[in-house]
Amino acid sequence: RSDGGAAACGDTEHRASDSRADSFTTPEGPGPLSRCLDWATAVEEDEMRTSVNKEIARYRRKLLVNEFSRERKSSSGSSDSKESTVTVELETDEVVLMRRQKQINYGKNTIAYDRYIKEVPRCHRIPGVHPRTPNKFKKYSRRSWDQQIKLWKVALHSWDPPTEEGCDLQEISPVDLGEMETESIGSNSTESQTSCQDNYDTCSGTPTKVRHIDYQAEGEFDLDACLSEPLNDLNTVS
Amino acid sequence: MGETGKEEYKIQSFDIETQKLLKTALKDPSNVDLDKVANVIVDQSLKDSVFSKEAGRICYTIIQAESKQVGQSIFRRSLLNRLQQEYKDREDLRNRSLQAWICYVTFICNIFDYLKVNNMPMMALVNPVYDCLFRLAQHDSLQKEEEVDCLVLQLHRIGEQLEKMNSQRMDELFSLLRDGFLLQEGLSSLSQLLLLEIIEFRAADWKMTDAAQKYYYSEVTD
Repeated sequence: RSDGGAAACGDTEHRASDSRADSFTTPEGPGPLSRCLDWATAVEEDEMRTSVNKEIARYRRKLLVNEFSRERKSSSGSSDSKESTVTVELETDEVVLMRRQKQINYGKNTIAYDRYIKEVPRCHRIPGVHPRTPNKFKKYSRRSWDQQIKLWKVALHSWDPPTEEGCDLQEISPVDLGEMETESIGSNSTESQTSCQDNYDTCSGTPTKVRHIDYQAEGEFDLDACLSEPLNDLNTVS
Repeated sequence: MGETGKEEYKIQSFDIETQKLLKTALKDPSNVDLDKVANVIVDQSLKDSVFSKEAGRICYTIIQAESKQVGQSIFRRSLLNRLQQEYKDREDLRNRSLQAWICYVTFICNIFDYLKVNNMPMMALVNPVYDCLFRLAQHDSLQKEEEVDCLVLQLHRIGEQLEKMNSQRMDELFSLLRDGFLLQEGLSSLSQLLLLEIIEFRAADWKMTDAAQKYYYSEVTD
């Protein structure tokens, strides 16, 4: 049978529901193609796969359109216009794209992200100041990508909801956590010290929502932002 | 929801409390226990043949509502988990209650029909659905009119889609049906008629020809 290991799973043995955990895939795991998935996960993966494929098609089209309009602007009289903008090689490996999409989903599936997008609409975002979702279609090494994701999520912490103590530290953009500790120690009143330290604990984890598969509206990939990036931005992370 | 809603989703057979639960699930899914809703729906589908024929619709609507309201798919996950569980134990189910087994097949086919993902049928269900239909095409099942009836009904409803997803298995299934029609002893004449009709239906590219309509479905004049 070519598709759906699920059928094979059902026929061969009686599985206790506990043992099903083995078949779930994780963003860090190897490609799920050979694994036997439960139906629900298989459907979710399919859904993600088709969405990712649609996105990459759109992205390619947009790149072409962008390239075309740039060429037109730059061909001011000179017949051998410069080579059209560097043909960027895109990441097309489905396994990689889906893993990256899952990582992005985890970051977007937070209250901080919700608050961020409400507060700062895309048109008002300042590059370098406001966090930008890493572009999963660009070629990056695994380490570089994971690093970008980490930094992006840390940046989003600035929009964590205020805790009950309402510590001022919430307003500071992500800093080295060692620095924060020093500040709280230096503070005079015991009260503010405790509240800052409490916050220190809560700052380490952004409140998350339950797993969230969202491809409409804000969930969609920010094509325009990506296209306005400088091409050579392997080191740029916001 | 009103009477039309009830009629549309065929939930009259549920008790009042459950009807309320379902109505809330349709309008405000984040405020109900969606896992419970999924189980309620599956349980009823196994008992109520009328409901099992159309339950896909209410499931589809709840899924859309949940996706729109909170961008999640908890209901769909619970539904599919339960469906998969019953599938694994389908032989036991059939031994326990033929009626429940028939309801299950009707239900899973209805789900396959209604629950599309990005306008495509769910790949994960293709082989399980085929497995169920193959089971219905076995000797012991063909002896039972209710099972033959179930089999041809599902093929009428989703045969064409199923074939697109995997034509080889459809060929194999119809080999079994031809064999059954020709060779099996003890087939009731109704069963024979049903099998002949579906064989012709597929041969006509899943369409009803006028001649077939006349032969199988028209009132006899005298």
